Amino acid sequence: MEIDIKQIRELMKAMKQLGVNELELEGNEQRIFMRRGQGVPMGPTTVVQTGPASVMPPAAPTPAVAITPAAVPKTEAKDDPKATFITSPFVGTFYTAPSPDSAPFVSVGDTIAVGSVLCIVEAMKLMNEIESEISGKILEILVENGKAVEYGDNLFKVTKS
Amino acid sequence: MLRKVLIANRGEIAVRVIRACRELGIEAVAVHSEADANALHVRLADRAVCIGPAPSAESYLNVPAIIAAAEISGADSIHPGYGFLSENAEFADICGQCGLSFIGPTPSNMKQWGEKVPARALARSLGIPLLPGTKVLSGPDHAVREAEKIGYPVILKASAGGGGRGMKIVRDSATLHRVFPQAQAEAVAGFKNGDLYLERFVEEPRHIEFQIIADGDGDARVLGERECSIQRRHQKLLEEAPSVAVTQEMRADVGATIKRAMKESGYTSAGTLEFLLDERGHLYFMEMNTRIQVEHPVTEEVTGVDLVVEQIRIAGGEGLSIPADREIPTRGHSIECRINAEDPETFAPWPGLITEFHPPGGAGVRVDGGVYGGWRVPSHYDSLLLKLITHGASRPEAIAKMERALRETLIGGIRTNVPLHLEIIRNEDFRSGRLSTKFLERLRGSRAA
Repeated sequence: MEIDIKQIRELMKAMKQLGVNELELEGNEQRIFMRRGQGVPMGPTTVVQTGPASVMPPAAPTPAVAITPAAVPKTEAKDDPKATFITSPFVGTFYTAPSPDSAPFVSVGDTIAVGSVLCIVEAMKLMNEIESEISGKILEILVENGKAVEYGDNLFKVTKS
Repeated sequence: MLRKVLIANRGEIAVRVIRACRELGIEAVAVHSEADANALHVRLADRAVCIGPAPSAESYLNVPAIIAAAEISGADSIHPGYGFLSENAEFADICGQCGLSFIGPTPSNMKQWGEKVPARALARSLGIPLLPGTKVLSGPDHAVREAEKIGYPVILKASAGGGGRGMKIVRDSATLHRVFPQAQAEAVAGFKNGDLYLERFVEEPRHIEFQIIADGDGDARVLGERECSIQRRHQKLLEEAPSVAVTQEMRADVGATIKRAMKESGYTSAGTLEFLLDERGHLYFMEMNTRIQVEHPVTEEVTGVDLVVEQIRIAGGEGLSIPADREIPTRGHSIECRINAEDPETFAPWPGLITEFHPPGGAGVRVDGGVYGGWRVPSHYDSLLLKLITHGASRPEAIAKMERALRETLIGGIRTNVPLHLEIIRNEDFRSGRLSTKFLERLRGSRAA
């Protein structure tokens, strides 16, 4: 898997020039999805090697949740090849601590083991504790306490040990 | 009026409901599996929530995920579409308990009308004509005794079955005795319910169904019938309204009975009563579908009523917008072709990337679709891509428009059943209105290949 920065830059330029807000490219097994504007960071996953480009017309303003690209559940982070993401298995509200007054389950830098409780995703008054399936270290907590999460949303960036 | 509807479905029906919401100024929330992340209904909705991985059991049938999605999106109601959870009384009940309006019939309506044996009993008590048939059979001996009373051929069916599954045609008592335990085992495997019943089997029936819509408050309307005889393995392929085989007298007669029945049983929202029409012009009630159906557009075209809008209005406590004390006259004729992602010869499903898409247009042509060029049709769900609907002043005109529209339709990159529909629309028996549920079998049988 190679990331061709030059190709990405060209695509970004073309999108800006043509006033295109969303671009999706698909090759045999890889796909890239880029969205411009509205303060949403670009989220390329992998670069397409071949394949026709299908350019979407400028998207109508969508203020709320962005369309999630059809991503593989755990994607490799660019800067650390051993880094991976822990994703939400539920739809609901993300809580970092067992109750508003308690300390959070985990903080950045903490070591986690298989079965460590990382957070709660609550739906319909049911508190679902999310347990880690890996052992490693927490690099980043990606969702703010009390925010809504969907199935597959990245919750934690971690390195596996 | 409702404020924000969550559509617990996908594909063309999700798009259909989003359109009705838009027209009413209501926000629409889409839910989707990971496989549908770029689906048309997701793109069109005001908000989209990913609820699970591709398998339906973990996404579109995942009740907690759907309710959670309603919670985080602030939806006040759920439209279940058709299939999936649309006729699940427990789900409708859960919605109510969670303070969400369920856009459809009540759990009680579903329990009364949703299972075939109790539905038949209820229909009989309300004066709706039935095929001679039985209640739940206690065993093969009971079955044989009943079959001899009804007269062969008979059909052995699972009470909890549907979509053509769990049915066996039997022509004599020895066979009935032999297949009874098999049928029971299949019913348990397929529907978790081994109850079986028998009915007289009509060899060459037409499938005729009546559309009803009721506000649950005493106002129920019958919006005419549809003919859905063109089926493959009990899955409908092409539908039309009205039926050439139903006279105004039959329509008025059965219509009045159905209307009274819906009022008396307290039915709410949209529903369809399915009948068989035999060779002698008798209609026999088969089952009721307590949901909006795939083929609802043909009824909309000939009546001018928007059924999904009416459903949303009813759920929001607004009542029907159809003027009271007026029987809706039907205007002209409408035909619908279900365009599926499948090989037109073998019917093998054909998921994959749609490389080009050009839907037909022009006067009297309506496309209710869930696809676009560049979208990859996933393999996990049913193969329906879009519905092509035409409306003309007469049946020949609707047919001419459908032929034209099919010829204009371009869906590249995958195989579809457009060629099959062209064959049907050009067929002499079809054009003359000589239809029965054996139509497609005959069409295939007479082909050289």
